[in-house]
Amino acid sequence: MRNLIQPVLTIAGKDIRDALKDRFIILMTAFLLLASLVALAVAAIALKVDVATYAEAKAGLIALGKDASTIPDPAFYPLKLLRGFVEHVEIIGAIIGILIGYRAAASERGRQTLALIVTRPISQWQFLAGKVLAGTAIISSGLILAFVIAGIAVIAISGIVLNPEDIGRLAIVMSAAGLYALAFFLLGFVTALWAKKLPNALLLAFTVWLSFVLIAPQIGDTLDPDNQVAGGVFKQLQIAKPQQVEILQSFSTYETIRNGIEVASPTKHFERLSFAVLGIKDTYAGQPLMPILAEKASDLVWLLAIALALGLLLFARRLDPNRLSKE
Amino acid sequence: MNTYVVETRQLTKRYGDHAAVKNLSLSVERGEVFGFLGHNGAGKTTTIHMLTTLLKPTSGTALVCGKSVTDQSLEARRHIGYVPENVRLYDTMTARANLLFFARLSGVENPDRRIDETLDFLECRDLAPRLVGSFSKGLRQRIGLAQAILHRPDVLFLDEPTSGLDPMGIKTLRDLIVRLNREFGTTIFMNTHLISEISRTCTSIGVLNQGELVFRDTIEKVTERYGSESSLEELYLSVTPVQAKGAA
Ligand SMILES: Nc1ncnc2c1ncn2[C@@H]1O[C@H](COP(=O)(O)OP(=O)(O)OP(=O)(O)O)[C@@H](O)[C@H]1O
Ligand SMILES: [Mg+2]
Repeated sequence: MRNLIQPVLTIAGKDIRDALKDRFIILMTAFLLLASLVALAVAAIALKVDVATYAEAKAGLIALGKDASTIPDPAFYPLKLLRGFVEHVEIIGAIIGILIGYRAAASERGRQTLALIVTRPISQWQFLAGKVLAGTAIISSGLILAFVIAGIAVIAISGIVLNPEDIGRLAIVMSAAGLYALAFFLLGFVTALWAKKLPNALLLAFTVWLSFVLIAPQIGDTLDPDNQVAGGVFKQLQIAKPQQVEILQSFSTYETIRNGIEVASPTKHFERLSFAVLGIKDTYAGQPLMPILAEKASDLVWLLAIALALGLLLFARRLDPNRLSKE
Repeated sequence: MNTYVVETRQLTKRYGDHAAVKNLSLSVERGEVFGFLGHNGAGKTTTIHMLTTLLKPTSGTALVCGKSVTDQSLEARRHIGYVPENVRLYDTMTARANLLFFARLSGVENPDRRIDETLDFLECRDLAPRLVGSFSKGLRQRIGLAQAILHRPDVLFLDEPTSGLDPMGIKTLRDLIVRLNREFGTTIFMNTHLISEISRTCTSIGVLNQGELVFRDTIEKVTERYGSESSLEELYLSVTPVQAKGAA
């Protein structure tokens, strides 16, 4: 048993120490944290403006001698402040994942070290497992740091102490973010391990990033009529529910394509899950956790499936010695 | 138990239509310092890659210390050390950290002590705390060699070990190889272009031409038959008559 695990830990340990010395990875992580804090601050300011508007309206009503209790206090969900943070994790988290994966392979190529590792009495799976373990550890510690800071910032800004359920919600989103970043880690690692030339690997990985992180969710969003009119098309046109269903049926092919584009993107799955669990999407705000989880479990399964598929791809293929010594 | 440390039969590697190594049947005995000569593109590196289990042969068999490099590759790897051409290791790690990494992967017991012993043997203990990225080519080669002998392999494969070294570096390396062979009994399998090195270091040679073994004998027999070093060059040129088609 020790003989099976020890090489895996040796390889993982080396990679973790190496990544911690990588200025670019540190810089990107710092950038993610900074951008998230800025997004939180902006959200907090927007919230303050909303609260002020509400207080003004209420004061106006009272001044007019009307009963202010007819307008309810606005519900306030501190986790909603995390919208910008989640969006940054989607975009920058994916980049960090790709970069860590890329360097896990690139650091061995062109220096003959991969050839040296492969001629040691260890199996290929042990080498790959060591790399994936290191990637998982680096990503996890980065995300834990980011989520703890974001959580503290939310408490500081809103003045509301998060209850255990809120912390549970954060933990769920953090795990999903881990799977999400791991998928991009595997993408960066597989391409850098297999590409004939290393720069091509980065090009390919970032083309995928561009398509699935930036473009696909945008297409999905833009094609969704609900996103083109504030509050939703049907609500604005005051169309009743039965009619909505009828109208939607005639657009079913369109909707299938739109949904298909979204489903192909891990980013969208992560977003759907996170926005629901954190109550960022209005329909889910203040709803109990369990039904939301039941509804969004498929998104988690999709993320898992994408990471698993990339992992299988990685482990199924024999390392090509022609790649071992080439930059 | 047979005395052959390397034993190949009809070993062949094809890339498409092109055979990089053709029906190579070659044996190297325990304790030999074997020099593998040939033009650029003759198939020397390809042969070493197959013997170090990096590359799967297209056909034929190869045994290292009696273990098949294809069917018993893990066992075969325990017996080999490998220094690739232009070996570099990890620039951002110290020499000791690099060696510790490879010692662990090789399953060396008590790695710290073994590293000290190895560095002492190579007369470069002072390199241990320094970053490999700051090393000259000669020092990198030294640490590359240290990495390959940490686990005291039966056979050491060296691919163009003198490539890029200055005359002093070449001499130092040559002395180390000879000492390694004498003190540890390590069999050496060395690719080279340099005929001058062969007569000083090797106990036997093989010449590869366009993937085929065209000459194989001990240095003793060669010098007996052909005399001085310049004749070795003549011999080499006579057995590799045509410049290989694809060679640069
Ligand atoms: N991955 C590959 N794909 C196709 N052909 C290859 C590949 N690797 C090597 N070759 C060819 O195989 C032949 C032998 O190459 P090899 O590197 O073994 O030669 P060598 O004797 O080591 O040469 P050098 O002295 O230049 O190092 C060459 O013709 C080379 O072009
Ligand atoms: Mg070569």
